[in-house]
Amino acid sequence: MRFRVFAAFLLVTVLFPVAQAGEPPRVVTADGAITEIVYRLGLESLLVGVDTTSGYPEQTESLPKVGYLRALPFEGVLALKPDLLITSEQAAPEDSLERLGRAGVQVEKLPLARSPEAVLERIVSVGRLLGEEDRAESLASELRSKIKHIQQASLARGNQPKVLFILAAGNHSVMLAGEGTAASALLDTVGAVNAVSGIQGYKPANREAILASRPDAIVIAESTPGQFDIRSWSEVERLEAWQSGHRLVADSMMLLGFGPRLPDAMAAVNDVLSAPSNVAANDP
Amino acid sequence: MIRDAAGRIGYSPSLLVALSAAVLVALVSITSGAYPLALADILSVFTGQEATDPVASMVLLEVRMPRFLLGFLVGAVLAVSGALLQGLFRNPLADPGLIGVSAGASLAAIAVIVLGNTWLGGWLAMTGEWALPIAAFLGGSGTVLLAWRIANRSGQTAVATLLLAGIAINAVAGAATGLLTFYATDEELRSLTFWTMGSLGHAGWDDLLVGAPFMLLALLATPWLARPLDAFLLGESVVGHLGYRTDTIKKAAILVVGLGVGAAVAVSGLIGFVGLVVPHLVRQMVGASHRMVLPLSILVGGTLLVAADSLARVVVAPAELPIGLMMALIGGPFFLALLLRTKVI
Repeated sequence: MRFRVFAAFLLVTVLFPVAQAGEPPRVVTADGAITEIVYRLGLESLLVGVDTTSGYPEQTESLPKVGYLRALPFEGVLALKPDLLITSEQAAPEDSLERLGRAGVQVEKLPLARSPEAVLERIVSVGRLLGEEDRAESLASELRSKIKHIQQASLARGNQPKVLFILAAGNHSVMLAGEGTAASALLDTVGAVNAVSGIQGYKPANREAILASRPDAIVIAESTPGQFDIRSWSEVERLEAWQSGHRLVADSMMLLGFGPRLPDAMAAVNDVLSAPSNVAANDP
Repeated sequence: MIRDAAGRIGYSPSLLVALSAAVLVALVSITSGAYPLALADILSVFTGQEATDPVASMVLLEVRMPRFLLGFLVGAVLAVSGALLQGLFRNPLADPGLIGVSAGASLAAIAVIVLGNTWLGGWLAMTGEWALPIAAFLGGSGTVLLAWRIANRSGQTAVATLLLAGIAINAVAGAATGLLTFYATDEELRSLTFWTMGSLGHAGWDDLLVGAPFMLLALLATPWLARPLDAFLLGESVVGHLGYRTDTIKKAAILVVGLGVGAAVAVSGLIGFVGLVVPHLVRQMVGASHRMVLPLSILVGGTLLVAADSLARVVVAPAELPIGLMMALIGGPFFLALLLRTKVI
C-alpha cells in the first residue's frame, strides 16, 4: 500500500528537471556510475553528497559520504538539504526513500544499466534531471560512436572468444564471475562469452574450475590496484591465455560500473581478445 | 517497582544513576542526529506549535521518536533475556544467542531474503511487507521451542541438555545460513548484512507496531520471575523446596526469552553483546538479587543500546555505522575496565 503511494509519487515527479528556480539545485547521487555521469557532464558543482560506491573520479573524496546506497540513512541524506537524490533502483531501504520524498526531496531511481544502450539512456536521464539535456545528448552521442567503433572491431574478429572473468575484491577474496553478472554483460558487449558456465553471480574461485575453463582470454577486475597477486594463483598463470598475453588486469569500477567509462572498458577487453598471437610463441 | 533483596521498596543510588542516565540518553538521542535541528524547533514540535523548519516534525516524530523507542525496547529485551538465561542456567556466559533464538530468527529472515523469489514466493504473497519480521519471529520462537522440546524429558526440563541442544541448533542454523549466503546473489548478500550486523536505521512506527507488543509482554512478565530465579541461584533442587514449581518457572523464562528476542531480532537484526554484558554490569552495581538485576537490566540495556545508536548515527554522519559494531566498541572496553577494577565476574 505504502509502496504504491510511493510509486505513484515517483511517477508524478519522474523526469521533471528540478532546475527551475534561480538557485542551482543541491544534488546527492547514490550510485557510482551516476556520480561519474555527473562529473563527465561537468555538473559536479551541483553535488552536495555522494554514497560510498562513488569513488571515481578522485574529487568525490572531498564530498560528504551518505553511506551505502542499499542502506541510505534518511537523516543523513536530509542533513545535506538536497533538492534531488539521483540513485538506481538498487537503492534501499524503501522507508528512507519514501520519507525523503515526503520531506520534499525529489527522489529519482534510475533503472539498472547493463547494456550500452541503457548506459546512454541513463546519461540522458541524468542530464535531463539536472537541466542539461543537450550536454548529455552530446556526451551520449560521443560515447555511442566510440561504442559502435569498438563493436564493429569485435564483429570483424568473427569469433566468440571465451573469457575467464575474475573479480578480486578484498583480501584474498578472488571470485569467478558467472552468469547474470555485470561481468557477463560486459563480455556480451564485445561479442565474447563467459568461459565459466553453470554458476550464477560471483562465486569463490575454484582452482580446478579455472583450469577447466580453458579460456581464450583472462580479465581480472581489481577493486584496488595490485590486489590480484598472480603468484598465489599459479593455475591462472598456467593458462595458455595468460602466457600468450591475452590478459587484462584493470579497475573493477571501470570495467563493471556501466557508467560513462563503458567504452574504455569495452576497448580494454576487446584489445586483449584480439591481442597479437605472436606472443604465444613461447607456448610449449 | 523495585524491591531490594529483603523485599523493601526503595531507592538505591544505582537506580537513581541508571534512571538519570536513561533520561539523559533519551534527550541526547532525540535531539541529535545527522540533520541539524534548532532547539527551539524541537521544543515547538513537542509542544504542538509550528516549527520554523518544515521537516522538523517529520524528523522528530517519524524518525527519531520511533527509533529511540525501538532501540530502548530492543536493548531492554536483550539485556533482560540475558539476565534471565544467566540466572536459569547459573552460567555467566549464557546469552540470548545460546539457546538458538538469534540464530533461528536470522536464519528465517535470511531464508526469506534469499528464497523469496523462488521457494518462498507463497510466503511473501501471504505476508506482504511483513514477510521478514514475521518469519524472523517464527524462526526465533521455533528454535527455542525445538531446543526446549529436546531438553524436555517426561515433564522435566534438563537445563544442561537445553544448553547443549541450543549449541547444536546454533551450529545447524549457522551452517544453513552459510549455505543460503553462498547461493545468494550479490544484491541479496547486501541485504543480509542488515541481519548480521543489526540496524535501527529503518525504524518507524510500523516496526514498533509489529515488535513492541511481544517485547512489552516479555518485559512485563519478568518481575514475576525475579524471586524464583533468586531461588535458582541456590541450585535447582532448592527451587522446589522453596515452594516454586521449578518446571513452570523454566518454561516461563524460556517463553519470555523466545518471545522477546524473536521480536527484537525481527525488527533490528542481530545485535550482540547487550544480552551478555549488561546483566554483569548490573550485578557489579547492585549485587545478584534478580529483583534488582532484572529491572535494572531493562533500564541499563535500553540506555546502552540507545546511546550506542546515537553515536552510530553521529560519528560518521551523514552516513551511519552498524549498531552492533558500535555496541561492541563502547561496551567491550567499558566492561573490560570494570573487570580489571574488581577482578570478579
